[in-house]
Amino acid sequence: MATINPPGFPIERGKIHEFANSLQDDNPMYHDEVAAKAAGLPSVPAPPTYTATSAHFSSGDDGSAIKSLGLDLRFVLHGGQEFEFVRPLFAGDVLTMRTGEVKSFVKEGKRGGQMKIFDMFSEYVDQNGNVVIKVKNTVLQTGGVVKDG
Amino acid sequence: MADSAFDKIKEGDEYSFVVKNFNRTQFVKYAGAGGDFNPIHHDQTFAESAGLPTVFGMGMLTSGMLARVLTDWFGATSVKKYGFRFKTRLWPGDDVTFKGVATKVYSEGGIKHVDLDLTAVNQKGEVLIESNATCRPWKP
Repeated sequence: MATINPPGFPIERGKIHEFANSLQDDNPMYHDEVAAKAAGLPSVPAPPTYTATSAHFSSGDDGSAIKSLGLDLRFVLHGGQEFEFVRPLFAGDVLTMRTGEVKSFVKEGKRGGQMKIFDMFSEYVDQNGNVVIKVKNTVLQTGGVVKDG
Repeated sequence: MADSAFDKIKEGDEYSFVVKNFNRTQFVKYAGAGGDFNPIHHDQTFAESAGLPTVFGMGMLTSGMLARVLTDWFGATSVKKYGFRFKTRLWPGDDVTFKGVATKVYSEGGIKHVDLDLTAVNQKGEVLIESNATCRPWKP
């Protein structure tokens, strides 16, 4: 499947509307630019986890970011994530993601044998060169099929 | 709305909502919106090849919904820190309660801050995700 990615990661009003809808979030701030501006905001703000949509602007679309770490998609789990917001994002912002270090370690899992854990650090920089969000993303690969319970 | 929540907040205050009967269409809707096309979340054949009974929801769908506790309560621009750890997977048919508790109310740099513990729990009482967050009023 072809994936074409523009440079930068644009924060867009229509995408915010779609993303908020996929979270069943009817907060008018995300859907109504007039309401957002009336509340004193520059435009509609992005929900806290909106940077997940950067997958549309990277080769991560086909899982290759995961594959580049040598992971098997069938046994990869998202362990968690930590966001630190310097400021909220608004439609009209254009971000650049800077990937930082990856820390990996191995842990004995309770249910799926040995687990490989990857902590991936990154930050997003806005159109003015300021860091707006810092992220730590944790991905796990289990030794095999994980049974719940 | 948001500022008045900060005025009234006390340690121990709670906010919650329930989303009933998650379905595969919601997973696909989030895949399109968020850009997570890992087939484990939409492709039954692929899920079975990984030994699973069916597809399961993205963690980021659960965490995105859990963040609504913060933004419904304190406003869309209020989140300063949001961290979460996934514990159990979200399956089609699940009913999930999303809940936050204010654990600490304090002032930092003259601005009121609230620390919170959050969870999403399914109909069996299993924790899908646990989270810590900090909110504060934000002005442009």
